[in-house]
Order: sequence, then structure tokens, then C-alpha cells
Amino acid sequence: MAKGLTWTVADADHMTQAEIYGEVLTQLGHQNDKIVALTADLAGSTKIGRFQKDFPDRFFNVGIAEMNMMGIASGMAATGLLPVVSTFAAFAALRCAEHVRTDICYQNRNVKIIATHSGTSFGQAGTTHHCTEDLAVMRAMAGMTVIAPADAYETAAAVAASLEYEGPVYIRIGRSFEAPLHKSIDDFDFEIGKAIKLREGTDITVIATGRTVLGAIAAAEMAEQQGLSVRVLDLHTIKPIDTEAIMEAVMDTRRIITVEDHNVYSGMGSAVADVIAASGKGCVLRKLGLQDEFSIVGYPDDLLHYYKMDEDGIAEAIQEVMKMDFEEDEDWEDEV
Amino acid sequence: MDREELRTRLFLRAALPLTKVVREDDKLLRLVTKNMTGVVQFEIKNAETAAHLIFADDALDVKFGKHEKPTVSFVFKDYKSLNDFFTGKLALPWIKGLYRLDIIARTVPLLLKLKMLMPEADPKEPEQRALKVKLLLYMVTTALSQLNKAGDEQMTKLTKKSPDRIYQWVVENGGPAAYLRMKNGKTKSGRGIYTRRRPFVLMRFPNIEGAYQVLTSQAPLVDAVKQGFVVTEGAMEYSKEIGLRMQYIEELMA
Repeated sequence: MAKGLTWTVADADHMTQAEIYGEVLTQLGHQNDKIVALTADLAGSTKIGRFQKDFPDRFFNVGIAEMNMMGIASGMAATGLLPVVSTFAAFAALRCAEHVRTDICYQNRNVKIIATHSGTSFGQAGTTHHCTEDLAVMRAMAGMTVIAPADAYETAAAVAASLEYEGPVYIRIGRSFEAPLHKSIDDFDFEIGKAIKLREGTDITVIATGRTVLGAIAAAEMAEQQGLSVRVLDLHTIKPIDTEAIMEAVMDTRRIITVEDHNVYSGMGSAVADVIAASGKGCVLRKLGLQDEFSIVGYPDDLLHYYKMDEDGIAEAIQEVMKMDFEEDEDWEDEV
Repeated sequence: MDREELRTRLFLRAALPLTKVVREDDKLLRLVTKNMTGVVQFEIKNAETAAHLIFADDALDVKFGKHEKPTVSFVFKDYKSLNDFFTGKLALPWIKGLYRLDIIARTVPLLLKLKMLMPEADPKEPEQRALKVKLLLYMVTTALSQLNKAGDEQMTKLTKKSPDRIYQWVVENGGPAAYLRMKNGKTKSGRGIYTRRRPFVLMRFPNIEGAYQVLTSQAPLVDAVKQGFVVTEGAMEYSKEIGLRMQYIEELMA
């Protein structure tokens, strides 16, 4: 269990990622009266209505004024409060980019931004409401911690851990309704900056983040049927990145696939590539995600499939990458 | 390739190269062959199969194929005859360059030292047991690779479907190590620990004595595992396949 979690997640099996977030925030609100919640007219969609009900004096709906909300949160943090800001990822990361940078990161304010409906998870809401650039924007902001939990349980752990973590944190979650990856909150250890090794493997490593992790596990199981040994890393923290886990995967398997519901430019895959390039070690790297294009409109699961970020797409990539060479080592003479 | 030809291939390519190792390991043999210059060849009459030892610059190298001008050449009438020679049975080759008794006399001790690879050789001194373990590890990994290169049906079945994978054998606490790399039908044996990727199957021997018991088949594998002589990590199904091929090599080289 994540450090500092003293609460319990009630009825978690029936809650979505966002609902869990709202529930956890409320529970933690009872333990820490410094926590305040802000939203920009999206309390219902971001599932923090329960916090509003329990703490009406600590809940602030700023109206449809997301940029202003970031400034307000920064000011509240300056007074010692612990503001948690909730809105859609497209608004938090794109519309508010300058405000997050100047008001929050530049001031190093202890503000937690919970960005719901990230990636293509808002499906039918359309391209304008998808957000496939937020990891790139947020990881470029100095001092920002960037987290993308894989399911509701990880979201609970991430929210709790972020509230104990000094400095600005961006937590990217889905629309809701994502299938759980873990069986319970006790099923894994969550630590900011530490990837979770979900499967051991020696042939290839799939590093996934957010809602793509579940597909990575399924793809690994499919590949196992074909005799391949696939490691799966749940890289929930994109910044600070777990260099040790990535390099262990590089050295052990030499073939890496990254999967993210995001543009492949400057997202999690690029962060992984930075680590590998800096190490001077060689490997094959395939980045799955949106290949520098705007997302189409569709049901969230269909979009995952369309962009080859689901189990079928990952399984296909595993087969392709296994055929590639990672080194110019074609000396097959036995050593004598 | 018939059985005798395959055996010859293993003796020339997996066992004969170990003369380099025994020379490095044994002070007396280094002294005997010090500053020796010449080429000693082992060949089959009317066949291309051959290997030769090159002594030069106080070093020994092993090459495969025929040397243009060997100093001494042991010519065997057929594969079986060479195989008998390497298993210590009566087999008298025709020796070209017999007059170079100095070269022959200095080479024979190296060849005799290889007798310690035979199952009946059971040295008691710890150093000799350690040497036997090292030689067996090197020989077995090379022989596995050679089985594949020779087209052994069972071995090629295993290697053809294999992505890039490492089978590693290690004697812990600074003992010898050897590996077999396979990839899409190709194989390569090597000494030491392969560092470019994690082994697909790792066979760890906690000490020399455990490795000795297992590699000489003095301890049946099941008992060896129970007694902790060997710990296998990784894909059990594949380690079993490799184990079966190792048994086959033992049969071929006995």
C-alpha cells in the first residue's frame, strides 16, 4: 500500500477512476483540513461532488474560468492551503498552460492538478476534448511531477501520495469506466517515481502508462502463448522517471515497446528514449500511441484499438519488434 | 551428416580448442610448449574435415580447415578412426612430418591432458576438478552450438523458433561461466557471462563441486537440484530441451 494511506476505499469495485479520486479526496479531506478543492464548473464530471457535500466551505467552483482557477489555487497554496484542482485534461494542460507554468510551477506552489478525460478517453466528445499533448506539456514544466495511474486503485494511491509530496503534481486520469488493472489497493506498492513491474520477462519489455497498461498485460499473455517472455512495466510516473527500471529492462531484454494514450512526440515514450539515449546502451525502441496526428472521434475502446494501443496492437508490435535486430552482432563463430 | 562425422566435428571444434585452455591453466604445459613454433594438424584422409593447432609467439591458436603447410599432420583413415583417437581407443594415424619429433613430443602432453574430459577421469585435487568443470562448460556450450550448425534435427528445431536468447551457465563465487546464444536458427557459444541481455535460462552452480557432480553426471539431475548443486532460473521447458541435447552430446563424445 502506498505510504501514508490510512483510509480505506469503500466499494471500490463499483467506482470509476474519477469516482475513486473524488472518494479518496473526501476521505483525505477529513484527515487534513488544509485540503481545498477547486473546479471550473465540472464538479459532476470530475466526481468531486462528495467533497463539496462534506466540506462546502473548502470547495470552490470558479465557473468556466480554468485559467483563473490555476491562479486562485496558486494563491491558496501560498497561504498554506493544499489546493486540488480538477478539470478536463484538455483544459488543465492546454488552455491553462501558461498559468500552470507561471503561477504554479515558477512559484513552486504545492498545487495538485487532477486532469480527467485525458488522452482519447473522452471518445465521443470529440477531438477538441481529447488531450494527447498533456504529458509533453507538463513534463516540460520545471518542477512539475507527472503521474498517469493505470486504474482506479492506482488513482487512489496516486492522489494520496501526491498530497504528501511537496510541489506541483499533475495526475492524468481517464474518463471513467476503465477496467481495473489491480485486484485491490493492497495488490501493489505505489511510490511516486517508481515503476511497477507487473510481469517478468526476458525477450522484450512493454512499458505502458495510464489506461494502456491493461492491454499491455493482455498482449504479454497472448505473446506467452507463442513462447515469448514479455516483461511489463507500469510506468505510472512519467516525471521523475524511473531510470533504474527502464535501464534494467534495456539491459535484460534489449527490446522496448512504449504504449501511451498520447502523441508519441514528447510523451512517455520520448521520456523513456531520453533515458536510453543518455545511457549509451543500445536497444530497439518502438513507441505506440498517436503517430503525430489528431485523434478521430469514436468510443474510447475503439480509439485504443484504432491507434494500436490496445492488446491487439501491442501484440502485433511485439511480433514486429522481436524480428528486429538491436545490434550489429552477426558474428556467429563459436568462441574458441 | 552421419553420426561418426558429427562426432568428429564435435571433437575437432568443441574438444580440440580446449588445448588452449589447458595450456593456459597448466604451468608445466606452458613450459613444455614455450616458444614452440609450428602447425599441428588433424585431418581425415580424402576429406576436407580438419583442424590445426598453431604454435607461434609463445601462444597457441586453433583454426578449422586445412592448413596449407602443416609442420606435422595426423592423418586418419576415416571419421571413426579420429573419433577413436580422441576417446583414447586404439587408432594409429599416419603422421606426416614424423621427423619433427620435437613438435610431436611437445604436443602430445596437451592432447593427453584432454583425457580429463572423459567420464572415467575423476581427479581428486580441487584444482583439477575446477579445471574439469571449466573444460566441460566450454566444451558443452560449443558442442551445443556445433550440433545446431551441423543440422542436428532436435537442436535446429529448438533454435529455429528461438528469438535472440541466452542460455547461461555460471559457477558462482568467481567460477567459470559459459553461454549459448541462439537467434532464428543461428547459435554462438561463448565464455564468461553474456552482458548484453539477461539470460533466458540461467543454470547457476553454487560451487565447483556442485557443478562437477552435475556436469559429470555423478549426481542425477533431480538429486542435484534437491541437494542444491544447481539452480535453474527461467523457462523450465527450454532448459529441459537443452538438458536432453547435453545428454546426447555426452553419448556422442563418450
